[in-house]
Amino acid sequence: MKALNSNIKTLSSILLLAILLFQSCIGDDVIMDEVDPVIRITNPIDSLGLNSSYQFEFMYLNNVGQEETVNPEWTNSDNTVATIDQNGLLQPITIGTTDISINYDNGSNIVSTLQKIYVRDTTTIPEMMMERSGTVTTTSSYQLEGDFTLAVNDDGDLILSFADNYEASTALPGLFIYLTNNPNTSSNAFEIAAVSTFSGAHTYNLGAMGLFDYSHVLYFCKPFNVKVGDGEIE
Amino acid sequence: MQRITIIFIFIFLASTFSFAGGPWPQKKGNGYFKLSQWWIVFDQHYTDVGKIDPNVTSGIYNTSLYAEYGFTNRLTGVIYFPFLSRNTMNNVISATTGETLIPGEALNSIGDTDLSLKYALNKPGSKVPLAATLTLGLPLGKDEGGTQNNLQTGDGEFNQLLQFDAGTAIAIGNKVKGFVSSQLGFNNRNKGFSDEIRFGLEGGLGLISNKLWLIARLTGVESLKNGDTAADVTSTSIFANNTEYLSYGIEVAYYVTKRVGFSAGYASAFRGEIIAAKPSYSVGVFYDLSK
Repeated sequence: MKALNSNIKTLSSILLLAILLFQSCIGDDVIMDEVDPVIRITNPIDSLGLNSSYQFEFMYLNNVGQEETVNPEWTNSDNTVATIDQNGLLQPITIGTTDISINYDNGSNIVSTLQKIYVRDTTTIPEMMMERSGTVTTTSSYQLEGDFTLAVNDDGDLILSFADNYEASTALPGLFIYLTNNPNTSSNAFEIAAVSTFSGAHTYNLGAMGLFDYSHVLYFCKPFNVKVGDGEIE
Repeated sequence: MQRITIIFIFIFLASTFSFAGGPWPQKKGNGYFKLSQWWIVFDQHYTDVGKIDPNVTSGIYNTSLYAEYGFTNRLTGVIYFPFLSRNTMNNVISATTGETLIPGEALNSIGDTDLSLKYALNKPGSKVPLAATLTLGLPLGKDEGGTQNNLQTGDGEFNQLLQFDAGTAIAIGNKVKGFVSSQLGFNNRNKGFSDEIRFGLEGGLGLISNKLWLIARLTGVESLKNGDTAADVTSTSIFANNTEYLSYGIEVAYYVTKRVGFSAGYASAFRGEIIAAKPSYSVGVFYDLSK
């Protein structure tokens, strides 16, 4: 009987130890979320009227796609056509063409973007700068595909529209759609909504947002942090 | 509004215990009792098309009591009671900045509990015993927890599993005894979950004068896919349905004394849909009154 009790105690101790060992703490999952830093003009134009000026706005996104406030350098390829100050204010001088560039040295490299500007009789924003588009594709084995456009409507609201060829898996729990500047994670992304349409054309009204604020449409299974797919906004 | 919740790996657990005992009910007054720890940690899962995709590492740890007791020579009551169930989800850390992007969470509670009655359909001692088992899956666990409601210790639904078992004893020479059995069952589920066909094969060999038992299991679940999908419900709460799998498992049980022993188990899957794609493990201490 003593031996039996001893065995039971030993086994119970082993099991208790196993329980304590295996009632695990919360661990860490490290994700590779680095992206190339970018600096982006968020209100681009095609041509500037000779009798007007234009204030450029910009956005700098760091190596995880988060916006940072920086003081970039503005340059201009032809100061006889127009001038630009270090606040991004463009002043035309004469009809012609010049390249405006915005540069920022983040310590690791110089991030820049360039835009060609035509000085003409009137300021114009071409159609291509009022609407962006792209295609979402799956990055998982869950079905996701479809073309989309992003445009500002007459009320000033940003509208994300999916075409007829949109299809998404209904098998996933908690599928959400986001706009993001880092397609590797839903963290810091703009959450649009839980997905409720899984086939065909549909739209999302995003309210007053900038057309050039984000670089990607992103689909994530939110509860389980599983990336399903994305699409670059061209 | 119907809402269905994720079931992921609980089925592995349920299957492990649902098939225990095979078609052999306990004799009147006899019983089998087990205190065990079962766990799975998974960072990938089978998708709806059977491929494997990554997910944030999640863990489920169940500490449970399992008991069989013979009310009569033909009727045995069975309970599986996970009195401590823990579901964890890891922190998501940026490799670039080291920042915690999404904090991990944990949920602790009682888990879903199974109550079963097993009835011998032919006379105990028959060469090929047959048994029918009715299992009631009691939703005592929590079907949502954490800030995203993505943690759970139960599926939130009351299911009824009717299962038939058949088996026979085998002998290899004079010293090695064993058994083989098969199971077929229908699991009626509610709250938008699809019903299921469950099946299994089990075989065991008793070595060292039946002190050491090696048991192998093959279990499967086929969903009838008659439940809800994300397109059918308007809730934004989490859910998954139509889980399927074909899994295999092994268990080693060793009698330290005539009645007391310990066991260890391992189970994995050949295939699956909407289910964890990592092995599960178990360890336990049992007391076998039938010896």
